[in-house]
Amino acid sequence: MSATDTSSRVSRFRSAVAEGWTRERFGVLGALALILITFAPPFQVYLFTDFLVVSLFALGFNLLYGYTGLLSFGHGLFYAGGAYGIAIVLRDLGPMIADIVGTGISPLVTFMIGGVVGLVLVIIVAVPVGWLSVRLQEIYFALITLAFGMLGYSLIIQDPAGLTNGTDGVIVLLGTVDLGGTSLRIGGRRIYYVISTITVVAATYGVWRIVNSPFGTICKAIRESPDRAAALGIDASHHRWMTFIISAAVVGIAGVLRAGLASVASPGLTHWSTSAIAVIATVIGGATYFYGPFVGAFIFLYIRWAISRFPALEAYWELFFGALLIAVVLFFKQGAVGGLLLLRDRVLGNNDDSDPGGRENTVDPGEQASAASDHEDEPGNDNMATDRGDDT
Amino acid sequence: MSLTSLVPLIGISDVVIGLSLGSRLFLIAVGLSLIFGVLGVLNFAHGGFYMLGAYVTLAVVSNVIDNFWIAAVVGALAVGIVGAVIEFSAIRRLYDRVDSDLDQLIVTFGFVLVIHETVRFIWGSGSYSIDPPDVFNFSVTFGGSTFNAYRLVVIGLAVAVLIGLWLFITRTYFGSLVRGTSSDREMAAMLGVDVPRLYTGVFFLGSVLAGLGGALSAPLQSTSPALGDQVIIDAFIVVVIGGLGSMSGAFVGAMLIGMMQSLGPQFISAGSIAIPFLAMVIVLLIRPEGLFGGIGE
Amino acid sequence: MTTVLKTDDLRKQFGELTAVDNVSIEIDDDKITSIIGPNGAGKTTFYNLLTGVLQPTGGSIWLRSGDQNELTDVTDAEPHEVAQAGLSRSYQITNIFEGLTVRENVRVARISHEGTRLDFRSRATGDESVEADIEEILELTGLTDIADTPCDTLSHGEKRTVEIALALAIEPNVFLMDEPTAGMNPTEVTEIVSLIRELDADLDATFVVTEHNMDVVTDISDRIVVLAEGAILADGTPQDVLADERVTEAYLGSDSV
Repeated sequence: MSATDTSSRVSRFRSAVAEGWTRERFGVLGALALILITFAPPFQVYLFTDFLVVSLFALGFNLLYGYTGLLSFGHGLFYAGGAYGIAIVLRDLGPMIADIVGTGISPLVTFMIGGVVGLVLVIIVAVPVGWLSVRLQEIYFALITLAFGMLGYSLIIQDPAGLTNGTDGVIVLLGTVDLGGTSLRIGGRRIYYVISTITVVAATYGVWRIVNSPFGTICKAIRESPDRAAALGIDASHHRWMTFIISAAVVGIAGVLRAGLASVASPGLTHWSTSAIAVIATVIGGATYFYGPFVGAFIFLYIRWAISRFPALEAYWELFFGALLIAVVLFFKQGAVGGLLLLRDRVLGNNDDSDPGGRENTVDPGEQASAASDHEDEPGNDNMATDRGDDT
Repeated sequence: MSLTSLVPLIGISDVVIGLSLGSRLFLIAVGLSLIFGVLGVLNFAHGGFYMLGAYVTLAVVSNVIDNFWIAAVVGALAVGIVGAVIEFSAIRRLYDRVDSDLDQLIVTFGFVLVIHETVRFIWGSGSYSIDPPDVFNFSVTFGGSTFNAYRLVVIGLAVAVLIGLWLFITRTYFGSLVRGTSSDREMAAMLGVDVPRLYTGVFFLGSVLAGLGGALSAPLQSTSPALGDQVIIDAFIVVVIGGLGSMSGAFVGAMLIGMMQSLGPQFISAGSIAIPFLAMVIVLLIRPEGLFGGIGE
Repeated sequence: MTTVLKTDDLRKQFGELTAVDNVSIEIDDDKITSIIGPNGAGKTTFYNLLTGVLQPTGGSIWLRSGDQNELTDVTDAEPHEVAQAGLSRSYQITNIFEGLTVRENVRVARISHEGTRLDFRSRATGDESVEADIEEILELTGLTDIADTPCDTLSHGEKRTVEIALALAIEPNVFLMDEPTAGMNPTEVTEIVSLIRELDADLDATFVVTEHNMDVVTDISDRIVVLAEGAILADGTPQDVLADERVTEAYLGSDSV
């Protein structure tokens, strides 16, 4: 046990950390990231933007997986939906929009309209696909979402309507905004990074609000026991459907950003191997944590980058993630975030490191600021520490 | 375009190709289905097993012994051992979890990546092919079209495997244990069945079948690391249409998809690759247990 | 006295097997009714029919919904519709939201009851009246001290109590308790029996209980209904039913018939 003043300092620090997970902290973090990365070398800016986009993709996916208990292997469909939505608007409607708003501002307006169209397109697809998919559960849900994703992949490749340009995909040209002498290239790495950061932070805040709302509480209940939820008067199937649509919409926003970042909307986005990226990132990061997908996406992209620095290993980064995925599921379901929390507790001399259940740590940053509603933060944690103090 | 003008294009060779494609699909799908039926595990890595079978066979033929049949047996058994090790060391840990189904799927997906990269590490990214064994490496001309006789051998072997498996499951003691355990694991355990060993055995058998599929297909296709990812999706379609856990379903489903792959493009130019997925969605929604019954049927 | 739950010739066939055989029963609001019967008597199927988990082959189910005096037909209702109509249940094999805390468990039920499950804009913990209701339910069931404990770390007896708290939190007219003492030690049994008595006295809900422990049954029941082979064998006060020879025979002699 540490000395009294140390432990009280620790305790104050911990409660500050715990209570800091509010919208202010999100704001500060966002601003900090914005400043830091703005001065980084261009490739780092690109990599960080990539990380943000993949994070949002995984975050949307995890609304369904970690929060509602449904494993989708077809979320690439919505990732592609957002990407193709904006790509097609840019390609086909760009000139028309320029006629209306003038060429100076039109790239920005087209980009925004394209984003909205991408989002709407995704929702239009997700409503029927979700309605059908949520009739099934577990493995069967994974299979039907995989089938829907691959159905979308086939249609995009074969392009019966002449919209998607087959295997080549649709090139995305974001253009340059020209405002009386100042010109801003939207696709420029730093500008696009700023746009992505703002979008991802806003979307993340939205998802965070959702998981901490009554709606999100019911999601968690359905994950834990759908028939119990039904016996309490909850229409589990309808609720899953609504979650599916929201999840798809979040992924769709990520898809819009992906199109601009990659400068192309390509059919590979709908392939199941793209859907699998969300699975890998989320599981490695820790599906039961709100920010698990972020940490997972960070590991996914930065370790991949680190591996790519060693030419001998470069080609085999998938091996690493395969092994990591297996290890996490077999031995440490809490994932990287669970590991970090464990580490934080160890470093800060906290005894409460016994979390064998994994699921009990379904703590969202926002909840910690509220009344003692979980044991990960201060008020509850003190009790736990005294209860379990004798064991250690 | 009128349909009648297209019909003459369907030659016997297209049918034979379709059936041989179906045969290789059957060999993967039946193992996938067997494992799901008994263990309740949907093995995402099964396509990787198939690919591994093809690679090991190729390696044995070119480096060890120039006899395709011995190499194929070695390939199938090697994959069986890999499968048994994976079941024993990893998947076994998940049976008692609350959400074991999804965890199993994710772990086996992890093995998809591991197998893919290991194969690439050992054999590189290029593609390999071999000739069919000399005895059968000749062309057959029938009804105006030509195809390789080896395709008939593959079809024959697939039928033999179906019959053999059926006899094995319905007529042998081990088969009765498999059936019993698939319908009620707890009950089987109470009656003294060594369930963990049986599970490893079934996983071994299913893996051997996938390896055999890969081995037999090695002369018919070019083998590359992308092969596993391609066939697993086809195998998923087959087992869903045929019914997860059904062996005869796997056979009919595989032949259906094989024929569709062979003949489909001639009928419908656009959307033909979408049809199997559409069929998968429809079957899952209308008859999630598949068009055919359970295990042993 | 009002009837809160009624079945008319309720019937369930599984192929050749008749699991529930033309059961007609009326449950009144001023009594604790126990439904008992030997294993395989059809109790579980009967419960699954009442709660909408299974659809009956024939007959109908009527439930008092909210404050209405007329009974509502819930024969074809889905489980969540039955619950919304005013019938709540607890499970024989504990079925609670293990990964959530006790308080969160009850909150789920209250959100459902308030009808705010689709509200994704407010905070789940932000509604003071809901939080006060949760507090009240926790107090009523004696769970206040462990309110913020994750359920997967609770003892069996505590989980069984959470099971009851959940079912009560949606303010049902009828509360079906499926083997409330299942797996409990004698101390826990005593506690849960006194809890059931208290709740029955405090609340408007009508209790219907299935139970293996005959001491508990005789202790808490005002009325006992005996099911055997899917049909009602006996129905009356505990004294009458337990004195009934057919009941003893059903329990002890069914094998020798």
